[in-house]
Amino acid sequence: MSDKKVLLELKKLKKYFPVRRGVNIKALEDVSISIYEGEKFGVVGESGCGKSTLGRVILQLYPQTSGATIYYGRTFDDMCPKYFAKEVARLLDYQKKATEFFQKSLEIDKKAEMLENEIDALSARGTDSEVRKEAKLAKKLSMLQFKSKELKKDASRQLREGSRTVGSLILCKDLPAVQELFTKAHKETAEAAAVNKKYHELELLYAQSCVNGTPDESVKAQMDAVKEQVEDHVAKARAFRQEAWDKYHGKDILPITERTLDPAYQKKLDGNYETGINLGKLTNNEMRELRREMQMIFQDPAASLDPRQSVGKSIEEVFVINTDYPPSVRKEKVMELLEQVGLKREHYYSYPHALSGGQKQRVGIARAIALDTKFVVLDESVSALDVSVQAQILQLLNELSEKKQLTYFFITHDLGVVKHFCDRILVMYLGCVCEIADSDKLFKNQLHPYTESLLASVPRLKINQEHSTESVLEGDVPSAMNPPKGCPFHTRCNKCMDICMKEKPPIIEQEPGHFVACHLYK
Amino acid sequence: MGNNKVLEVKDLVTTFRIEKKEYEVLRGVSFDLHENETLCMVGESGCGKSVTTLAIMDLLPNNGRIVSGSIKLNGQELTEMSKKERNALRGKQMGMIFQEPMTALNPLLTIGRQMTESLMLHKGMSKKEAKQTAIDYLEKVGIANPEDRLKQYPFQLSGGLRQRIMIAMVMAVQPSLLIADEPTTALDVTIQKQVLVLLNKLKKDVSTGILFITHDLGVVAEIADRVIVLYSGRKVEEGTIEMIFAKPQHPYTIGLMNAVPNVELDDFDIQPIPGTFPNITEDIGGCRFHPRCPYATERCKAEIPQEIEIEPGHFVCCHKVEEERR
Repeated sequence: MSDKKVLLELKKLKKYFPVRRGVNIKALEDVSISIYEGEKFGVVGESGCGKSTLGRVILQLYPQTSGATIYYGRTFDDMCPKYFAKEVARLLDYQKKATEFFQKSLEIDKKAEMLENEIDALSARGTDSEVRKEAKLAKKLSMLQFKSKELKKDASRQLREGSRTVGSLILCKDLPAVQELFTKAHKETAEAAAVNKKYHELELLYAQSCVNGTPDESVKAQMDAVKEQVEDHVAKARAFRQEAWDKYHGKDILPITERTLDPAYQKKLDGNYETGINLGKLTNNEMRELRREMQMIFQDPAASLDPRQSVGKSIEEVFVINTDYPPSVRKEKVMELLEQVGLKREHYYSYPHALSGGQKQRVGIARAIALDTKFVVLDESVSALDVSVQAQILQLLNELSEKKQLTYFFITHDLGVVKHFCDRILVMYLGCVCEIADSDKLFKNQLHPYTESLLASVPRLKINQEHSTESVLEGDVPSAMNPPKGCPFHTRCNKCMDICMKEKPPIIEQEPGHFVACHLYK
Repeated sequence: MGNNKVLEVKDLVTTFRIEKKEYEVLRGVSFDLHENETLCMVGESGCGKSVTTLAIMDLLPNNGRIVSGSIKLNGQELTEMSKKERNALRGKQMGMIFQEPMTALNPLLTIGRQMTESLMLHKGMSKKEAKQTAIDYLEKVGIANPEDRLKQYPFQLSGGLRQRIMIAMVMAVQPSLLIADEPTTALDVTIQKQVLVLLNKLKKDVSTGILFITHDLGVVAEIADRVIVLYSGRKVEEGTIEMIFAKPQHPYTIGLMNAVPNVELDDFDIQPIPGTFPNITEDIGGCRFHPRCPYATERCKAEIPQEIEIEPGHFVCCHKVEEERR
């Protein structure tokens, strides 16, 4: 799996829905996953576990509370998001603030130390009034300690933000020079993106001329010239970045604290360096452009189609908004799409009410793949269909993914479907990741107790002599407004230990490619 | 399994009037349900499962009516009764659990009020007795602190709890027939398992016959004693659960089995049944399944297959099966 290209990476994604002041529904809690190109990634869990929220946050239909969603389907050279320039401009600010915060925290630490000495002196004597005074001071001390801790956290947060753009170079003493180089690099990238746009326009023109039967050679020549320009800009941008990297990486570290001198910490900051596009920071218009590649198919096909528009018009809308094909080309494209998803050309003229559930879902699929789609979120897309039709739709999705190199993010509660449809599976519980594994591995060897009981609950197509009268999992899912402390599953877990109630288990890689968040494994 | 027949349905034909035309929804369905037995009715949406239950309960919508056939509950003919007589039976001798418990419970009344109402009405209990019975039954369905629950409103409960309360409410009256129309479809798998386990437990205690409607073959395997498979208003196969799962005969039943992604198997190719489910307004001669059937012959298009008993208790309606046996 590791040689595959990552398409989407989620880093510590959080999503809270505010209920009232200070009370949040914690729909997603530190979800970190990578989705590879061309894979079918399944998400399972009970209702309310945050699987749909996750799908929507990825597409930025809901803004994320914190964390990052990084998309590698496009490069900066292809599309230059506005946030990048801002981030480069802000680099100095990050470093300055981090230094300030650390300084402040150090001052507070000094004060705290003095206080501590005072307390020690007092406790050596110990009359009544002194004990009272001591308690007062102790309270003050803990306040100071808390403050200093928060400031340190803020400082590392600043560094972390900075490192997203330049990695550990944020620690460099000569940051202005780094910034200058990166600004130059960014200008080149922006240039490349602009020229690239022109290239795509020419490409379209050429394609149209090919359709007309007379390939326009002058356009072709122009295309080549523009292509060269793009490559030139890209190379220059890379050179500038490389220069910054070579000159300053690991050298002349600003000693903000002792930690910044630690190579391990520097490496960690390097790890934050983003080479993909951070979806959360895009403007609405930029995100809209990316949505051509990132689509969604919903559960209820009837609700996602306009009952007053014919099927053809519904699909054609996609081209009207996103492309400037002439009407005749649009219609032909829609016809092709209809055939691709197993409908007839005649369906162009029919209205949604005349179609069966399976056919409506096919229209939904046609709409999702109409443009150059790379990534599709399928939110319970086959759950509302009858079994025989469900199987048809699954088969269609399988074919399309092979033909068009699609990546699926498949949300469902049906474990039978994920087992036979998905390559990798994420099990979620109360907004947290429980287990991630290849689907055959997960079904052979479940590590997390929740996965185990979830699987045991699935009705089997096998007849037992006795109908089961033993339940596998008692109780309901706790409220996400007030999730249990420690491991979210401990209230229903039959292997619950003391530590489960106190500490949230980290996600560890128990076997290669098999991740689990449970205290049973250490 | 008791031998007393709780329910006998014979050649039931119901029609729906759509735009001044009558369309057959059930085209002659017959089955029996015994005491202490769970009979599962399986089929895709639109096959007539729900209409059958509505016909039994006399809850058909205004444009639907029973054209012919008979429904006997404990030997009494239901189709000849007046509205008033049937009303008296409903809830007392036959109870029903619906798919969505939230819509079946009144959101404005407490659980206690709703549970005691039917007990006082059908069983003539006093308020106190009814309350005690309600508490007993809530305990039976595994609800903790039943007395507190009685004071709560439906919105305060989770989906699984609501469904348990529905079951308790229906069972408290001790009906001889319990109709469960997709009671677990709206629930999560873990909660579904809890409800299925509960029904299996209850079945041991009481002599009620359960008619269980579902489209999920996995659920059938968990709960059924006998199964009937419906397709487009006709029964295509009937048998004990072992017969249906181990050696399904009708091409539709086989197709259904192959279309369900099975968690047990490692290698599994999803094999859909080609084509789409026919609309009730479509006029299909002969076997209703023939347009989608891989074995369809000229005879299937012309002649309605008769029910044949291929082994005691295993009935199939298919020309192919019949010809192979000759």
